[in-house]
Amino acid sequence: MELVIALGLNGIVWGLIIALIALGLSIIFGLLDIINIAHGDFFMVGTVLAWAVFDVTGNYWLAFILVPVIGFGLGAVIEFLVIQPIKNAAALSIVATFGLSVILQEGVRATYGDVPNRLLPPIEGTILLFGIEYEIYRLFAAAASIIAIAGFFGFLHRTKFGTWMRAVRFDPETATAMGIPTRKIYLVTFAVGFAMAALGGVVAAPITTVDFQAGIDILPFCFMAVIIGGLGNLGGTVAAAVLLSFIEGIITSFADPTAARIASLCLMSAVLMFRPHGIFAGSMR
Amino acid sequence: MTAIPLLEIDDVTKSFGGLNAIDGASITLASGTLHAIIGPNGAGKTTLFNVISGTLNPTSGHIKFLGRDITNEPVHRISQLGMARTLQIKSVFPNLSVRENLWIAAQSRHGVFKPFARARNLRPANEKSDALCEELGLTDLANQKAANLSYGDVALLEIGLALATDPKLLLLDEPVCGMGPAETEQTVEKIRELAKKIDVIIIEHDMEVIFNIADDIIVMAQGRVLARGTSDEISNNADVRVAYLGDDLDD
Amino acid sequence: MNVTTINRTGIGAFVLFTLTAPWLLPLFVDAFWVDIYSEILIWSLLAASVNLLFGYVGLLSFGQALYFGLGMYGVAIGVEKFDLGFWPAFGFGVFLATAMAVVTGALAVRLTWHYFAIITVVFSLIFYFMALSWKPVTGGDDGMPFSIPPVFSMGDIEVSFTDPTVQYFFIVITVGLCYALLGRILQSPLGRAFATVRENDLRATLIGLNVYAIRLSAFVIAGFLAGVAGALFAFFGRYASSVYMFYHVSGEAVVWAIIGGIGTLLGPIIGTGLLIILREELSSVWEHYQILVGVIIILTVIFAPKGLGGLWARLVEHVASRSSHGGDVK
Repeated sequence: MELVIALGLNGIVWGLIIALIALGLSIIFGLLDIINIAHGDFFMVGTVLAWAVFDVTGNYWLAFILVPVIGFGLGAVIEFLVIQPIKNAAALSIVATFGLSVILQEGVRATYGDVPNRLLPPIEGTILLFGIEYEIYRLFAAAASIIAIAGFFGFLHRTKFGTWMRAVRFDPETATAMGIPTRKIYLVTFAVGFAMAALGGVVAAPITTVDFQAGIDILPFCFMAVIIGGLGNLGGTVAAAVLLSFIEGIITSFADPTAARIASLCLMSAVLMFRPHGIFAGSMR
Repeated sequence: MTAIPLLEIDDVTKSFGGLNAIDGASITLASGTLHAIIGPNGAGKTTLFNVISGTLNPTSGHIKFLGRDITNEPVHRISQLGMARTLQIKSVFPNLSVRENLWIAAQSRHGVFKPFARARNLRPANEKSDALCEELGLTDLANQKAANLSYGDVALLEIGLALATDPKLLLLDEPVCGMGPAETEQTVEKIRELAKKIDVIIIEHDMEVIFNIADDIIVMAQGRVLARGTSDEISNNADVRVAYLGDDLDD
Repeated sequence: MNVTTINRTGIGAFVLFTLTAPWLLPLFVDAFWVDIYSEILIWSLLAASVNLLFGYVGLLSFGQALYFGLGMYGVAIGVEKFDLGFWPAFGFGVFLATAMAVVTGALAVRLTWHYFAIITVVFSLIFYFMALSWKPVTGGDDGMPFSIPPVFSMGDIEVSFTDPTVQYFFIVITVGLCYALLGRILQSPLGRAFATVRENDLRATLIGLNVYAIRLSAFVIAGFLAGVAGALFAFFGRYASSVYMFYHVSGEAVVWAIIGGIGTLLGPIIGTGLLIILREELSSVWEHYQILVGVIIILTVIFAPKGLGGLWARLVEHVASRSSHGGDVK
């Protein structure tokens, strides 16, 4: 029973982290119409940068602040160099992001090697929760994710730039005609997407292994959240991420997690086939 | 001229969200007459064509083509039954040559699921596409990619695609849209000729064009049939004038 | 000298090279390159399956590794667990792949654009995870080696892959037949229908073509090709592993197809060949050559989306029009 609670809680924590990353994926897909195969690797870069900053400065909190900023910068550079030039070959964008993924993975492997690294949680200790001793850091991770997600929605709905983003998402041609700087929006969207994945990486680094392959597993999960939650339905993406991760966590306590993974993928197929708007109401497209 | 009507549109409604693009329209069209559907923007003309050709399914009502219920038939099946159509925005196969465009339309009547036949040896489609090239005056351009053609030639090609399928009924959606006066004349002549052999229904904006060639004019407004008659009857119809003059909205 | 002549000459030279490679190549390079060439031919079929769907029908599949994997496992499991002979195992593998293509295709081709790409990945992931975890049957990612039964045996005569010449020519002939089949289909009415569906599926359906059935046909043929590749691969390596069903393999096949030139019949061989040779040559010099590969992928998408096949076509047209005496160059 304790195992179930622990795994369930872990599922929720991870679900929130994934939600953060998946939101980044969703805005890239929604606004730029790009299937970003490299998104998991953006997360991975976040974990690696977190470890690197910590390794150099000994301060996790510095990483917490720096890494998303670096992520934003990297995202902007990539958008400018890679994404913008291929706007005409949209179908091939998935190929370009595949190439990007290869570069990122191999680049990290070249810089830091094959051996995974461990980053110790900056907050130690456990707390009694639902009858089990639960790591405080994981609660922090959940809280940080929630705050970041809330901040993202706030940005999207309360700021001028966020409103522009939503306008471009809804109708890019009209948005341009209205004088909204769509080129800049695309750049910032991609950069924000990277930053969010990187932030997810920083938050997750102490509770996962830091190595060049960390993104491979995250990617399908993010896509599942985006699709099942519904493209364009950001709230649905968050809900789907948490729900799927929670259910998978529970199942892990008594069965092979692969079975849970397969079940989620089957659900995703069903959604694609019959309800491409996702299973939550309130989706846009 | 058969007793079976060419087309029966029976109390058809098509709604999008809360809006009825077509609102309980009932029209029967006889064979042997050139029909025209006119009306201001947003009247529902193209939506009607979409519903007839199967591109959209009506929300309610029935469509019968030569006595056969085609209400929910898929587009390709309706084409195989003998209905062909051109679109408002001219639609052909851009990277194929003119001849290849016509060829595939012709071959559609003989089946394409022949993976081991050699396309270039299939006589019926070859002959048909060559004949159509002649008829449309596109022989010189036969090997040109459709994307390289002038607007007028693309329009001709699109009509050619429709003809290649040996249709009993041809739906032309704004066939002279975007054409200058000379091209318009040419196209109108072509349509007049075609109408002698095939049943034709035209959607058009331009009253002049219609009055010249159509024997039966149906005026639509706001998804319903407003009036119907010959060109004389329509031009003297007060409701029609109001519908056109009172409607400045550009869609 | 017109375009067809140049292309035919090129193909002729290529065929000649392929038929003489076991004796020709070792004169210039190490003998193991003959094996590499066999591998290139096998993998090129996977790229060809991507190419058929994307280049000719306009559907980008990112999950062809599924059918490759089924061809591979059909052979391996057939031989190892069911004691099948060479041909029954071959047939079993190809059958599994094609059957799966029928089932998944029936669902997948109802979608288009990004949704199609996504669902092809999802399907391949489902079966990847199954293969990965079903260790007793598939060996998971540890892999499943097996010993290969003879191709043909009668009395004392035995023809088997253990003879490198047999192996090489079996692969060459099988791959050759596949390309010939593909070429034949592409020149048929069905092949032309593929192009129309790619160019303008609305127009295609309006002229009476069953777009769904056409797409499904292409999907099944592509699954068949990938299945043959997988089966050959299993025979070639006497080995099967779930690693080869991962989406990275599908992605590589897409890259090979794009670099080789989508929409060309032999582009897949060029693309696959180039990248595998690159891998062989670079990996010994620079451990992290993959970074260069990634850069090449991105540069190709930006600057040469039609790949080498596209460049070849332009070059050939240029040469052909130069050598025709002042003819009408439109």
